[in-house]
Order: sequence, then C-alpha cells, then structure tokens
Amino acid sequence: MTPAELTPDELKRYQWQLWVRDFGQEGQRRLKGASVLVSRIGGVGGSAALHLAAAGVGRLVIAHAGNLRLDDLNRQTLMTTDWIGKPRVESAERRLRELNPLVEIETVAENVSEANAAGLVARADLVVAAAPLFTERLLLNREAVRQRKPLVDCAMYDLEGRVMVVLPGQTACLACLYPEPPANWKREFPVFSAVSSTVGSLAAMEAIKLIARIGSASGGLAGRLLTFDLRDMSFRTIAIARRADCSVCGDLRS
Amino acid sequence: MKLRVQYTAQLRTAVGRTEDEVELPEGSSLAALVEHLAAQLDDAAAGHLVGPGGGIRPSLLVVVNEAAAPAHAVATTSLQDGDVVLLLPPIAGG
Ligand SMILES: [Zn+2]
Repeated sequence: MTPAELTPDELKRYQWQLWVRDFGQEGQRRLKGASVLVSRIGGVGGSAALHLAAAGVGRLVIAHAGNLRLDDLNRQTLMTTDWIGKPRVESAERRLRELNPLVEIETVAENVSEANAAGLVARADLVVAAAPLFTERLLLNREAVRQRKPLVDCAMYDLEGRVMVVLPGQTACLACLYPEPPANWKREFPVFSAVSSTVGSLAAMEAIKLIARIGSASGGLAGRLLTFDLRDMSFRTIAIARRADCSVCGDLRS
Repeated sequence: MKLRVQYTAQLRTAVGRTEDEVELPEGSSLAALVEHLAAQLDDAAAGHLVGPGGGIRPSLLVVVNEAAAPAHAVATTSLQDGDVVLLLPPIAGG
C-alpha cells in the first residue's frame, strides 16, 4: 500500500480525524492506500464497513450473499427497508457511497467459501471476519495466515461481544483459539443492533490502528481477546497464546 | 475448596444463570471441574463443555483468574480455593 497524496477535498472531509494524536496526514494517506475485505456486511460487518468508509479507507471489498429480508433490519444498518428481496451488497454499496463517494467499493454477492477465500483475501491488505458461521471465519483465518495478512475477528452473542486481532506468525490465530469448528453453534442468535454495531466499531478501530500505525503494538488486540458484556458493562482482555500444534499457524515464524 | 464458576454466551443461556459456587476436593484439576459441571448441568448446557466422547470441547476457552488456561494443560492445571473460572464457549454472531 503506497501512501497516496491527499486532495484539498480529502483534507477538508477528514479534518476532524486529522487532529487525532499519532494519526495526521501520514495516517490518512495510509488509509487511502489500503484495501480491506469485510466478510459479510450484516450487523457486525456492516458497522465495521461503515466506519472504515467514513474514515477513508481507499478500497473496501464487501462480501455477502443473498437478498435482504425483513428480519435482517433490526441489526443490518447498511440496509434499507425498500431493498427487501434485493441483494444485500447492493444496499450496502449504495449506503457506503452516500456516506463517502471517495471510497472505492467492490461488491461480491457471495459468502466466503473454499472456492473464493484465497482470491478474496488476495484483494485486500487486511481482513475483517464477521460471518455468523465458523467455517467461513476459519477459512478466512487460514487464508489470512497463508498470505500473511492481519485479520480482525469480531463476533457477538446476546449482549456479549468479542474481538481479536491475528498477526500471522506473531500472534495466536483463530484456529489457535478454536482448533475445531464448534459443533453446537447456531447461525441464528439473539442480537440487538446496538451490540453488533459496538463490535463492528471496535473492529473498525483496530483495523484503522493497524493500517495507520496508531498506538503501540501492545496497545491493540493483537494476540489478545477482548470480551465484553453490555449487561453489566464488564470489559476484559485475555492474552491468547499460540498453539505449537496449530494446524494453521503452527509452522509459521514471525 | 470453593470455586466461582462464571458462564457466558450460549452456555449462560443454557444454564439459566450467570454463575455458580462449586465445592470440590482440594487440588482438583480444571478438567475435574468441567467434568463435575457437565454431570450436574442438563444436556444442552453440558454439550457446550464436553463432546459426545466426554472430553472437554477443544474450542471452549477456560479462563482462571483472568488468565487463559492453555488447552494442553487443562487436565493438569490444579485449582485453588477462591479461584474464579470463566467459561467462554465459541461465538460467531455477525
Ligand atoms: Zn494458529
């Protein structure tokens, strides 16, 4: 990612974030030069994509199959009611463009699969994993590790959320945390938009920090699982060690 | 010894409460605690802790006093009176 020059229009649009300590024009140029893959743009990924677009990431690749349903709308905040029955990625693309037309949006009306995972990850510098299925998340993790690209895994259930950053070869990967695809996870789960959007916002912030190189390496969630519960507003981070026998990253050196 | 066990996510939904106080013999291992819980709880809750073969689910994250217990050491990690054990089943809500 080559840091691109900023135009007067960009300097004005991003003025308030250019005041952020450690960020400035250098950080903004890094964002402009970066591509991020967001796998599924539902409650969590939609929020992550929104904040990445607002911040001025140069290119967003958004992947999500299927048409919008009425019962998506309690949480999928990139969707609009008039789009029920039509492709989700189209509604998401329109909303992201309305917010920030300077961001290049690539839509892929597919979910992550064995057939497309490598190609999707190859199109990005960083991956945000927000699918409701472990098979998709673990595939993205495997490809991100293989291609040595940072991955932000972000998930939720009920009023709880979790975010972890994977730096291949340096930190634990998702397969270190979840060595087996969990047998009893159900794709349908209790969710308020306020929770999924919180998780997506945290994931976007981690992505922005990694791309723009804000803060210290130890300050983020690399190798640390953030877990929170909005019922009692408890937040904790848990260090996750690499597994020497991890089938995905066990052989990888930093 | 007395331990505090805290449930999260689908495990908490299945158990129906946030935490339990558990009494176990001094020096019991983490594996012994999980097996004890699996025997006490109903099938839906126990299914988040142990697999069909009876072993601890490899993707269950066990945190003792704020530190993750290494998966390979669950059988050998001994607990102490007053330990707080947080159980986190995998979640993937997106
Ligand atoms: Zn690994």
